[in-house]
Amino acid sequence: MSLLNINYLNIVYKVKGKKIKAVKDLSLNIESEDSVGIVGESGSGKSTFAMSILSLLPKEITEITGDIIFDGTDLLKIDEERLRQIKWKEIAYVFQKSMNSLSPVHKIGLQMNDIYKIHEANATDKDTKERILELFNLVNLSKGVYNLYPHELSGGMIQRVSIALSLLHYPRLLILDEATTALDVVTQGQILEEIMELEEKLKLTRIMITHDVSVVSLTCKKVAVMYAGYLLESGYVEDVFSLPKHPYTRELLNSYPSLTGERNRLKGIPGSFPDLSVVHRGCIFADRCKDSMDICFVREPKTVEISNDWKVACHLVGGEYNG
Amino acid sequence: MRDYIRKRITTGILTILFSFCLTFFLIRYAPGNPIKVLAGTENPNPELIEHLTAKYGLDKSIPIQFGNYIKNILKGDLGYSYMSNEPVSKLIGEKLFATILLTLTGVILSVIVGTFLGVYAARKAGSIFDRLMCSACYVFDAIPGFWLGLILILIFASKFGILPTSGMYDLRAEHQGFARVLDVVKHMILPVSTLFIIQMPMYFRIARSSVLQTMSEDFILTLRAAGMKENKIFNKYVLRNAIIPTITKLSLSLAFIISGVALIEIVFAWPGMGRLIMDAIMKRDYPLLTGVYLMISVSICVVMIITDIIYALIDPRIRLE
Amino acid sequence: MKNVQYILKKICSSKELLIGITILIILILVAILSPFIATNDPYFLNDDLTARPSSKYIFGTDGLGRDVFSMVVWGARTSLKVGIVVAFISSIIGTLIGGIAGYLGGKTDKIISEIINIFLMLPTFFLILIIIAIYGSSLTNIIVVMALTSWTGTARLMRSQAISLRERTFIKSAQTIGEGNIRILFRHIIPNGIFPIIADSTMAISSAILSEAGLSFLGLGDPNVISWGKIIANGKVYLPRSWWICTFPGLAIVCTVLSFYLIGEGMNHLLNPKFNGKD
Repeated sequence: MSLLNINYLNIVYKVKGKKIKAVKDLSLNIESEDSVGIVGESGSGKSTFAMSILSLLPKEITEITGDIIFDGTDLLKIDEERLRQIKWKEIAYVFQKSMNSLSPVHKIGLQMNDIYKIHEANATDKDTKERILELFNLVNLSKGVYNLYPHELSGGMIQRVSIALSLLHYPRLLILDEATTALDVVTQGQILEEIMELEEKLKLTRIMITHDVSVVSLTCKKVAVMYAGYLLESGYVEDVFSLPKHPYTRELLNSYPSLTGERNRLKGIPGSFPDLSVVHRGCIFADRCKDSMDICFVREPKTVEISNDWKVACHLVGGEYNG
Repeated sequence: MRDYIRKRITTGILTILFSFCLTFFLIRYAPGNPIKVLAGTENPNPELIEHLTAKYGLDKSIPIQFGNYIKNILKGDLGYSYMSNEPVSKLIGEKLFATILLTLTGVILSVIVGTFLGVYAARKAGSIFDRLMCSACYVFDAIPGFWLGLILILIFASKFGILPTSGMYDLRAEHQGFARVLDVVKHMILPVSTLFIIQMPMYFRIARSSVLQTMSEDFILTLRAAGMKENKIFNKYVLRNAIIPTITKLSLSLAFIISGVALIEIVFAWPGMGRLIMDAIMKRDYPLLTGVYLMISVSICVVMIITDIIYALIDPRIRLE
Repeated sequence: MKNVQYILKKICSSKELLIGITILIILILVAILSPFIATNDPYFLNDDLTARPSSKYIFGTDGLGRDVFSMVVWGARTSLKVGIVVAFISSIIGTLIGGIAGYLGGKTDKIISEIINIFLMLPTFFLILIIIAIYGSSLTNIIVVMALTSWTGTARLMRSQAISLRERTFIKSAQTIGEGNIRILFRHIIPNGIFPIIADSTMAISSAILSEAGLSFLGLGDPNVISWGKIIANGKVYLPRSWWICTFPGLAIVCTVLSFYLIGEGMNHLLNPKFNGKD
């Protein structure tokens, strides 16, 4: 069953008279209980996309078109009050830089209490506290954390608090935005393990925004590769990562150390990131692509499905016919 | 928390000691002879010199003078003014109330109005009100307080004649009771307005920028994503975080409550510390100078320590440092 | 040439900078060309006492018959000189002290921070008053005393800059290849952390100008130079009838101080723009 269906999503930032196209014609379907990793360099639009799902981008400077259909409801078309009912109850986030994702001058328990009561206004303090402690237990935090301030916790503990916070209402969709990037490798590993266990237990659907390919390959069923606002390739991790079709995906995988232990040479991607405020012609990656052909600079490639949800937007795998 | 307070108090005492030594020696090693000033003539006769020197202990060596002075301070005795022959503590005491009345009113008014306007401007960031206030504050900041006072006197006292030009009371009318209070209030309007215009921009700017800063913090995003209503986010979470810089600034203003407005007091002939300080300086009244200085240093440190403690109560991060 | 164009473009992109620099250029021209701009000898006692502003005396004359316009023009020199020199000296002191504290850290930092705290708690203006009153009010004394009491802001700023720079890779690598601490401080820490200091010092010029005006107003300015504060102090007595004596030099102070505030603010905006685009 499709839980989140995104069709032709376009997001434009209007800053200082410039129009910056942060997300361009993005279409993606996420099934219930999927786990999808969205990878890309910084500036690829992956965070922007994640934030747009609950309309969290500053309204004055953003223009969003397209559909974001969550369980049959288009989140971009409903009014604020209905969106508020979905926020955190159905869809919750774990943000990047979790250190700052809680108010520094309020105790953790109090903040979680406040957030819980947004949707459970009638809950007693005792019940709420019990619920929070139950979640702390779930993410391996001690009860004492309830009465602490954020700065009194380590990075890993804060991250666990953020996860507990996101699970307050047992949402159906959990979006982790670079949630483990700032942690050391050991803690990151532990937390990823825990997230996957919770997912099983709570039947969560998960979107994992990261620039770390290895995190995706370890924890996700599916992957979507973004570059400069475009979704270039998506599909099951075992397909995309073993036989990447898009040259950018290949470059991205090459720029990370191999997981299987082979010592390949690490490579950066030559060329520089495109300026998103100017109108672009042809394939967005053509300038930096080793395999680019004449057509790549003229026409934007069409997304084609190779097999079983594996979609690629590249002239090398067909898709010439898009103006 | 206790360590934090102890540390602040240590700094405070160090400051008092340092600034006290600094003034004491600055003054004692100064060129010029206070005896001449005391005697009221350029060529006092030897008997007079001897008499005055002995009376004020000027014949002792400077370290001994310093020792004696410290001993007396610890007994609560600030010595006698050279000029008026009255106890320094009495002279200060007489002027203190007027100064504190003036500055405290000015500071409280600026903090409340400035903060309120700043918070409002931040919520309407980019609006005409916001831009107007920001530009006005640049200009207000550039105005020297003493000149502003003069201009206000020119407009409201000289031109329209609706407010008194100077002093704290109408000396000709012997008001009693409520009429006297009203009289003082009338005299306070211009100096307090001057203080207000000079200080308000600072609080406006701090409130505005710290609200904007807090609004862009990640935790606000968390609360929004969780569906908390904007008003609750603002009243419960933004304000508490944004108020911290205002408190720091408030402590700075209050700390300089005694010496900071001397210029404005002088413009309005306000019977406060400003005139006393100037007289002490101009006439080289050493005991009075050191006394005033000690008084100011102590008040600065006490205020700083108190606000530091309030600060720590509001911001839990401070307590750990 | 390209650099000049780039700088001009940057200046024009910030309204504050554009206005501030325009006022400042005018002021500097006035200060340099004061002998040619002043319509009268500022010291000459004309026969017209407290004359209204007219074509002969643009800003009127003061109680002794001196031409206010010419005094205001000459006063620009004093204000700019005091403001700029004080801010320059105090930012050098502050940068060095703050840089050393932040870069070396540890005990040195603790001691210097304590000294900074003590200086912050000093009633600076009062101290300046005392020293000037006792040791004489020459322009040099005024400048030195103000510089020695106003470096704490810069020091704190530089200290925090140095603390964050200290952890950066290029400093670590400089340490690894064995560059000396003093060399690192001057070659890497200070040059890389200097921009916010420059913006801050520009604002410090404003406060120095205001302080000097206050001193002169109290009669503690250098008696041998023309200063805006002093013109105001002299005009005070004539205020009700001859408003022009106090008003014009005051406006000159406001414009000068404003221009430095605007430039400092404009630089701060350029250094940390609130919006840098987004991921």
